[in-house]
Amino acid sequence: MDFTSVWWFWPVILFLFTLVIGIIAPISGVGGGVLFVPLTTAFFPFSVDFIRGTGLIMALTSSLSSAPQLTKRGLANLKILAPVVVVSMVTSVIGGVVGLWITNTFPTGKYYVTIALGIILFLIFIVMGKSKRVEFPEVKKVDSLSQRLDISGAWFEPSLERVVEYRTTNLVIGLPAFAAVGFIAGMFGLGAGWANVPVLNLIMGAPIKVATSTSMLIITVNDAAAAWVYLANGAILPVIVVPSVLGITIGARIGARIAVKARPKFVRYLVMGIMLMAAILDIIKGLGGLGIIPKIL
Amino acid sequence: MEIEVDPMNITFAKVMEIFTIIGLIAMIIPAIGYFAGVSQFVDLQDAVKHWDKPAGKFWEETKQIEISGYAWFLDNLNYMDCLSILGIVVLALAPLLSLIATIPKSKGVYVLLLTILVVEFIIAILRPLFMQVTGH
Repeated sequence: MDFTSVWWFWPVILFLFTLVIGIIAPISGVGGGVLFVPLTTAFFPFSVDFIRGTGLIMALTSSLSSAPQLTKRGLANLKILAPVVVVSMVTSVIGGVVGLWITNTFPTGKYYVTIALGIILFLIFIVMGKSKRVEFPEVKKVDSLSQRLDISGAWFEPSLERVVEYRTTNLVIGLPAFAAVGFIAGMFGLGAGWANVPVLNLIMGAPIKVATSTSMLIITVNDAAAAWVYLANGAILPVIVVPSVLGITIGARIGARIAVKARPKFVRYLVMGIMLMAAILDIIKGLGGLGIIPKIL
Repeated sequence: MEIEVDPMNITFAKVMEIFTIIGLIAMIIPAIGYFAGVSQFVDLQDAVKHWDKPAGKFWEETKQIEISGYAWFLDNLNYMDCLSILGIVVLALAPLLSLIATIPKSKGVYVLLLTILVVEFIIAILRPLFMQVTGH
């Protein structure tokens, strides 16, 4: 019997696959969406339209599940989100429209999108490899826009046993960066923590916990807005979305428990290696589809 | 130790939490029925046959319809797969509803910024109804 032709075969594999992604994502510190979209594009039979739609819903659900708690504790801050998302929501919707337009208008569009996804993954790999995390960045001078918006906050930091107050800066530099990230997230269905966190932490001077938490909050709004583009084009199928969301949600709970006890560095390197491999495979798949190289995937 | 978090953050978080739970339940329960073979808009075997095609082609070949907007699932809520998509709709609405609920709790320039976000979000939802984007 050919199991691959039975309807439940791929959804079950997808559930197990996203379960594993969910477990390793919190341990490695890499977002699940960044692993899901390129690996599923490389190894699963689904159209890249459905994969990107599912990637967005997965990133949205994961962020919606954790952002409220982080917001109540003062770690995720609407004062940072509001000015940034005014720009990035527009670009994330444009990204979604452009991505679907390419695959649905040009017969070879999906291969161009797959190649572009591989190239973006290389970029993410470099950003993740190079960027450092600063626990409590020192903000010496607050720019006039951030000052006018009074972008500040505080949270209780258990490791220091005190309340940490912070301000952010460089909003004018942060805005175009978020515009670009929004476009990429919408177009490829990726969560954008890989880019949001360094911009918030290294450019705008948000403490790393505030940066990671506020990034989650930003993803909820950006990805929800972009999801409507995919819904309006029929690029959301429950048979793909539901096993993926369930897998990553259950996996993330297991992974978060493991991450509290141990976060071995090799897991992060392993995941980055997998990303690099996925980038290469996506480019090979795209080039094969265009007939530039022999089709092997 | 308790710290005082801005009331607009608290309202945003509480509303988001409620609609996330509603959305997840509304997505998963009908999906169980769909996988069990109860009232399917897209036959599962048909989905398997065509899910490698771009979204436009998928719908042409499985249901002989051209998708533009939300009628494809809103008109078919008697089917479990379309009901499950309604759960996804609730999830995709959660940030908008949270933003709307937060406006009365915000002050100064944030009233304006949150209002702009709400307008942008509504345009993002309504845009497919007056613009066809896929090129079919």
